[in-house]
Amino acid sequence: MGKIVFAAAMSHVLDPDYYQAACGLSGRRKVEACMAEIGKLGDTLLAHRPDALIVVADDHLNAFSFNAVPAICVRIGRDVNRMIQDEAEAFDKVLDGMPERYALHEELANRILEDGLGAGFDLALSWEAPIDHAFLSPVMTMHGARPVTPLVPIWINCFVAPQPTPARCFAFGQHLARVVARSPWNVGIIATGGLSHFPELLLPRVGESDVVFDQKLLRWLTEGEHEPLRSLTPGELDKAGEHEFLNWMALIGAVTPARADVRYFGELGRINLAAVEWRVG
Amino acid sequence: MSRYAVNSLLYRLKKDRVFRTRFNVDPEGALAGLDLTDAERAAFLARDMQRINALGGYLHLVMSVPGMAAHVTHPEP
Repeated sequence: MGKIVFAAAMSHVLDPDYYQAACGLSGRRKVEACMAEIGKLGDTLLAHRPDALIVVADDHLNAFSFNAVPAICVRIGRDVNRMIQDEAEAFDKVLDGMPERYALHEELANRILEDGLGAGFDLALSWEAPIDHAFLSPVMTMHGARPVTPLVPIWINCFVAPQPTPARCFAFGQHLARVVARSPWNVGIIATGGLSHFPELLLPRVGESDVVFDQKLLRWLTEGEHEPLRSLTPGELDKAGEHEFLNWMALIGAVTPARADVRYFGELGRINLAAVEWRVG
Repeated sequence: MSRYAVNSLLYRLKKDRVFRTRFNVDPEGALAGLDLTDAERAAFLARDMQRINALGGYLHLVMSVPGMAAHVTHPEP
């Protein structure tokens, strides 16, 4: 019987140069502190010798263009390429220098997809979509120079309205847990993004974050209070700059009713950086 | 306002280097024939990412089109 052996969620622009340019030296110091905790989470993950790492993250209009925006998409196939962006700026630059190709756990991805369709989740699939910083920045910070665990990338549409509801993402996470339980594998799962930043996705509001909302979410996570999370609406998340919490909702569904421990939380104005681990052992 | 027209153009400017170069050299020619409102066309010609965002352009595109990206910084107090 398979098991989720590790679960964590974390911010996903992990680049000291980016934050120093945007927020000064305190930005660099805070993201470095957050990255140090994420590196320790990587040590914990790898100590479990996982067969696969599910990564729930979002697309920043890089993998999918406007011919299709899937609500939830499972990446299948044998391997995945990182996104290549010529003349990359801002958060795209963090990918520069990372390996170009990563192995996938093909069988687990196929089971998530096929069993999901059988269970009523009308999932999209992709053989070709590349992965951007939302996946690779946390994965590489966790693994460092060590071999990367075979990945199962899953996208949730966090930005292009209408997004899936938090309750639906939670239910999808429960599906992930059932698939893992029926499998023979030890599986890690991470959700990336957040916490609060870019409220309403408006340029004049870049620089604002909602610390009170973040603290409310973290209190619910540490206390294992998951029912209030399921009642959140995409509108609330948009106003508070919590768009990427949809990724976290899938993870929470996968590990409920486990409680979480906050490994790092740092207010930066532009974004509140976070790293959280769930007690799944 | 045509959210699709604005965003498909932003996406093309980000991902299509040849089109981006053409836009940089001859912006009016590059936009000719595109289904944009007068306000949208003016915003692109002015390379005004704040206005493009206000007209429906997605924030992550507005912040990452090479050579046009809006860079918002927050100086330390």
